[in-house]
Amino acid sequence: MIRTEELLLNVGPQHPSTHGVFRIIVKLDGEVITEATPVMGYLHRGTEKLAENLTYTQIIPYTDRMDYVAAMTNNYVICNAVETLMGLEIPERAQYLRLIVMELQRIASHMLWWGTYLLDIGAMSPFLFAFRDREMIINMFNELCGARLTYNYMRIGGVKWDAPDGWIDKVRDYVKYMKEKLNQYHDLVTGNEIFLARIKGIGAYDGKTAIEYGLSGANLRGSGVQWDLRKNQPYCIYDRFEFDVPVGKNGDCFDRYNVRMEEIRQSLRILEQAVEQVPEGETMGKVPRVLRVPEGEAYSRIESPRGEIGCYIVSRGKDKPFRLKFRRPSFVNLQILPKLLVGENMTNLITILGGIDIVVGEVDC
Amino acid sequence: MKGIVKGLGVTLKSMVEKKITYAYPDVPLEMPDRFRGIQHFDPEKCIVCNQCARICPTDCITLTGKPNPDPEKKGKVIDTYDINFEICILCDLCTEVCPTEAIVMTNNFELSTYSRDELFKNLQWLNDNNTNIRKENNSAMDKGGAK
Amino acid sequence: MSDENKESAKPPMTDEERAAKIKAAEEARAARAAAKQAEAAAAGGDGEEAPPKQPSPNQPKLDRIVQLITEHVNADAVEESFINERDRDLPYVIIKAEHWVTSAQLLRDEPSLHFNYLRNLSGVDQETHIEVVYHLLSLDHVHEVCVKVKTERDAASVPSVTPVWPTANWNEREVFDLLGVDFPGHPDLRRIMMPDDWVGYPLRKDYEPLDPEV
Ligand code: SF4
Ligand code: SF4
Repeated sequence: MIRTEELLLNVGPQHPSTHGVFRIIVKLDGEVITEATPVMGYLHRGTEKLAENLTYTQIIPYTDRMDYVAAMTNNYVICNAVETLMGLEIPERAQYLRLIVMELQRIASHMLWWGTYLLDIGAMSPFLFAFRDREMIINMFNELCGARLTYNYMRIGGVKWDAPDGWIDKVRDYVKYMKEKLNQYHDLVTGNEIFLARIKGIGAYDGKTAIEYGLSGANLRGSGVQWDLRKNQPYCIYDRFEFDVPVGKNGDCFDRYNVRMEEIRQSLRILEQAVEQVPEGETMGKVPRVLRVPEGEAYSRIESPRGEIGCYIVSRGKDKPFRLKFRRPSFVNLQILPKLLVGENMTNLITILGGIDIVVGEVDC
Repeated sequence: MKGIVKGLGVTLKSMVEKKITYAYPDVPLEMPDRFRGIQHFDPEKCIVCNQCARICPTDCITLTGKPNPDPEKKGKVIDTYDINFEICILCDLCTEVCPTEAIVMTNNFELSTYSRDELFKNLQWLNDNNTNIRKENNSAMDKGGAK
Repeated sequence: MSDENKESAKPPMTDEERAAKIKAAEEARAARAAAKQAEAAAAGGDGEEAPPKQPSPNQPKLDRIVQLITEHVNADAVEESFINERDRDLPYVIIKAEHWVTSAQLLRDEPSLHFNYLRNLSGVDQETHIEVVYHLLSLDHVHEVCVKVKTERDAASVPSVTPVWPTANWNEREVFDLLGVDFPGHPDLRRIMMPDDWVGYPLRKDYEPLDPEV
């Protein structure tokens, strides 16, 4: 009689497909996972503690380093929280610039996910395609604010730089270019039978579970829950644009993939409208020289590429926050992982983990 | 099979497209003007106001001033000025607050060395780092910036 | 100035002393803030000159929540409730720890509230006490509430709501890890961010690192 023994397998902390330092201990029975325990904290830098000793302006560069592939949305969430507390008015042009960079960031982030996810499950060339097109966004950001990943672009009350000459036109051209390329992406991968066999029906959960686990972003929408903060609780100036919120049906990895791909298209749609409307004007609102945030607390939440990123500020009227807490979508989304893995084949671990789309810098904060 | 063939078509099509890669170490990369690289420091302009050291989120600037050697003039002149590039995150805040543009960003970004100690750059080094200085230093923000 | 429209629905009977202390501290802070504002009016905000407060549009919602909790859970489960005007009129409810789990179940299951989504869970060390803050959201009704549960600083303990909202699991572990709040009823309360043998709770205000070199 053949007898199998339980095997404890340590995946990570240094594992190419965990995209960072993240470890997961799986208990295997043959090839089937019977238990999974994620271990994190390898990248914990104590941003929340550091922030208590920094002024609000100084915190912004630190937020770049949480979700380092989508730093613009992180910039926005802290600025938005402080602005809510102080009741600041943001000039129109700054609002538009913020929206444009956030949407570009969403595209860049989804493209990075697309490339690396396919790399994880064994397709090499999509990665190159995705990076080719993402590079253009990164270069645009580089021209705009002087950095490729850690932008530190937004300031409380506005944005640091106005768009350089011709930058808006570049965005316009890019939208046109990318629309075409997106179809190419679909041709390249979405219909591929091997790919479909790898991800269809894998890691499925229903909408109720998703809500219970507090998932957000494509992880929530993939299982059919129509919830996008840009639509349902609009912030910035999203209520002025027309776009749809794509949702999935089965809640498996394939639906999440589709939702993200469709989100790129919707972001392009928003950008298309936004670049036509950008008004002239100031990019920095009236802000006191020394930022003292009035006593009180506020929770600001926006839709980052990975889901709902939130920032909870408790202020005691100083120029530094009394307590700053970030709700990081990757951290919350990752919670469902042990549940999804049980009973799955070992090879699906990477498919499922990649499908959740985590950034370890954000998980650990 | 259809999907795979379709995908192959895309691959084949892009084989004849223009090259988009850089030959980076052999051909230097041109960065846009706003690029935030290693700072250039001009001791003549510095008025030792300490704003840069105060705003720096990682506390990597250390500076000392001395009384002006010229007894006619008031104020201080800079004596030492060091930036520790082990922890500098090139966030642009110091150049944003400097009232006289004594510290400005350049487009140089190559810092790798064999020893961490060499990353501690002093006044002289920062002064000599005077190529590719950023032209557009005034941003949308007022000089003095936000604190 | 304390800018929240504070109206105690049920003044706490047992915690009068502590409340008084907090009040005093708050007043002192308010006085300082007011002084600062006087000399630098730049700090903005709708401070003293604000017109008499109009009831916020969310006031009926808050009243309803408070009423439901007092009816179905316990007459003095709600310690305090107010509207946070600075944060888009978000209703705030402060619930006593011993009634928290039943209140949480009510908040989730009552059809007219149906707070099925726990969007954020944070811990705040307020120096006099520790608060655990829950931001709840109802995806169907699109309304929000912020619930706070207070606990002592030493032997801090708040019943776990992981059985109610599974998403609280890691969030509670994080609060336990960084602030040292115990969550009885939690299935697996271990440190999450810091190493298992770490000493102390880093986000506490009086935290001293054991080894400053680290
Ligand atoms: S760039 Fe930022 S981190 Fe570097 S010295 Fe200037 S303020 Fe400090
Ligand atoms: S902010 Fe500028 S002028 Fe002031 S000390 Fe720094 S470099 Fe010198």
